[in-house]
Amino acid sequence: MTSTASSSIPRGQVDLVEFVDWSGVECLNQTTSHPLVNALKQGSRDDDGLHLESDADEQLLIYVPFLQVIKLHSVVIVGPEEEGPKTVKLFANKEHMGFSNVSDYPPSDSTELSLDNLKGKPVTVKYVKFQNIRSLTIFIEENQGGSDVTKVQKIAFLGTTVDTTNMKDLKKIEEH
Amino acid sequence: ASKRQQKSWFSILRSSLPFSFPILIFRLALRRIAMVLEATMICIDNSEWMRNGDYSPSRYQAQADAINLICGAKTQSNPENTVGVLTMAGKGVRVLVTPTSDLGKILACMHGLEIGGEMNLTAGIQVAQLALKHRQNKKQKQRIIVFAGSPIKYDKKTLEAIGRKLKKNSVALDVVDFGESDDGKPEKLEALVAAVNNNDNSHIVHVPPGPSALSDVLISTPIFTGDGEGGSGFAAAAAAAAAGGMSGFEFGVDPNRDPELALALRISMEEERARQEAAAKKAAEEAGKQEKVGEQASSSQDAAMTEAVNSLAVVADDKKQNLTDDEAALLEQALAMSMDGAKSTSVDITDADMSDATAEDPELAYALQMSVQETVRDSSSQSEMSKVLEDQSFVSSILNSLPGVDPNDPSLKDFLASLQGQSEVCFVLKLRNL
Repeated sequence: MTSTASSSIPRGQVDLVEFVDWSGVECLNQTTSHPLVNALKQGSRDDDGLHLESDADEQLLIYVPFLQVIKLHSVVIVGPEEEGPKTVKLFANKEHMGFSNVSDYPPSDSTELSLDNLKGKPVTVKYVKFQNIRSLTIFIEENQGGSDVTKVQKIAFLGTTVDTTNMKDLKKIEEH
Repeated sequence: ASKRQQKSWFSILRSSLPFSFPILIFRLALRRIAMVLEATMICIDNSEWMRNGDYSPSRYQAQADAINLICGAKTQSNPENTVGVLTMAGKGVRVLVTPTSDLGKILACMHGLEIGGEMNLTAGIQVAQLALKHRQNKKQKQRIIVFAGSPIKYDKKTLEAIGRKLKKNSVALDVVDFGESDDGKPEKLEALVAAVNNNDNSHIVHVPPGPSALSDVLISTPIFTGDGEGGSGFAAAAAAAAAGGMSGFEFGVDPNRDPELALALRISMEEERARQEAAAKKAAEEAGKQEKVGEQASSSQDAAMTEAVNSLAVVADDKKQNLTDDEAALLEQALAMSMDGAKSTSVDITDADMSDATAEDPELAYALQMSVQETVRDSSSQSEMSKVLEDQSFVSSILNSLPGVDPNDPSLKDFLASLQGQSEVCFVLKLRNL
C-alpha cells in the first residue's frame, strides 16, 4: 500500500464508479449549485473546486443504485476539516428513503469519520452486510464542526462485482 | 362522442387533413416538450372565513373553481401527473383524495364540502407532505398548493421552519394568498415560500378581491404555467388568450417565455402570407372573369351556411352535454365571421369574448384565427379545402377512422349532407361537435 492515503486501493478491490446507475442517483437536501454529481462523477470528484453541499441543514441523504450487484468493501469520503461529514450511516438495498424514516431501520453500518478518512483513507465497512448490494443509501447525519452546511469533496466506493447476467447481452439461441 | 374524443379532436384533425395550417398546429404540439412529472396535493381552506362574498360568488366557490382549473391543467399537461386534495378546516385536516390521475374522481370529491371551523395551516402542510411521500410513482416531483384565505395565526419563525423542512425533502410549494388580509399575512406567506424556494420552483400569488374571478387571475401566474422553464403550452397560451389576445406581443405569446412557440407561429404566418399573396395575385388576374362566378358561389355558400347552422343546432341539442355556453357562443360568432368574411377586410381577431371562450382551448383560438384570415382573403378563389371536403368519400373515410364515431348515426348523416361547399371553419367546428 502506498503512503498517500488518497490513492490507495485495497488489493483486489475495484473503484465501482463505473457501475453506478446514474439515472437513479438521488440526493436530498443538496444545493442546486453544488449537486451530488460533483462528488461522485469521475473527473469532478477530484476537482477541488467542485463539491457537494447541503442546503436547508447539515444532513444529506444520498441514494446510489448500481447497474449490477456488487460487494462493497470500503467507502472513501473526502471533505474539508470543518464542514466534512462526521456521522455517516449506510443502508443497503433500501430504496426511496426520506429523512423521516432513516431512524426507522437500523443502518447496515454506521461510522464516524476521522480526519484521516476525510483526507481519503477508505473506511472499511462490515463486509458481511454488503455482499449483495443493488443500491446504497448514505445518510450523513452531522458534520465535523457542527455547522449548518456540510461539504463533501468526493465519494467513492471500493469493492467487487458479483457476476450478474447483463440482460442486454442475452441473445436468442438459434433453433437447430 | 365522449369527452376524451372532444379533447383529442384536434390531433385527429391535424393528422388527417393535408393542408398547410396543420403545420402550425403540429409545431404547436411539438414544443410541448417540457412536461414536468409531478404529484400535487392541493390544500383547501374551507373555514368560516370562506363564506364571505367579496370574491364572486363566494370565496369558497371562487376557490373551488380555481382548484378545478388547476386539476385540469395538471392532469392535462402530463397524463401521468397525479393530484390529491385535502381540506384544512372543518373538523380537522382531512384528505379527500390521495394523489390520483383520475380527474373525475378529483372533481367529484370536491362536492358537498362543509364550510366551517378554522384553518390549520401547519397540520395541513404536514399531512400533504405525508400524502406525497406515499405516492406510488416515486419519480414524480412533489408539490403542494395551498389556498390561504383565513388569517394566519402562526409566527414567521414557525412558517420558515416548515418551509425549510419542505425544501429538505425537495417538496415545492405554491401559495394563493386571498380572502382575509390582516397585517403581516402577506409577509408571513412570502417568508414561507422563500424558505421553501429552491431554484424558483415555489411561488406565491396575492389575489385581492376584485371584479375578475380568482381563476382568471391565477391562469396567468406561474402556478399554472409551471416552473419558469416554459411550462405547459396549455397554460401559456391560455394566459395569452385570457389577457386579451395580441396585447403587446406578436401572436399573443411572449417570445421570452416561449420562443419556440413564437417562432413556430411566425414562420407559419409567413408561409401562409406568401401562399395568400400568390393565390391573391392569381385571383386578381382572373377577377373580372371570376367575379360573377364568385358571387354565385358565395350566395350558395350562404344558403348552405344557414342550413349548416340549423343542422348544427340539431347536433348541438343532441350532444348538449358536450357543448358549454361559451363554446356555443364561440361557434355562432365564428360562423358569423365566416359568412361576412368576403365583405370585411379587417376582422377583429382580438375580440375579447372569443378570447375568453377559448381560454381553455388555445389551439382552437389560433386555428380559428388562421382560418378566418384565410377565409377573408381567399373567398373568391376556391380553396383546396372545399375541394377536399366535396370529396364525400374522403370525408367519410376520415370520419370512419375516428374512434367512437358510428357512421350510421343520423346526426352524422345530416352533417355529411350539409357539407357541400362549406368553409374550413364550419367543418372544423362541426367536427368538434361530434
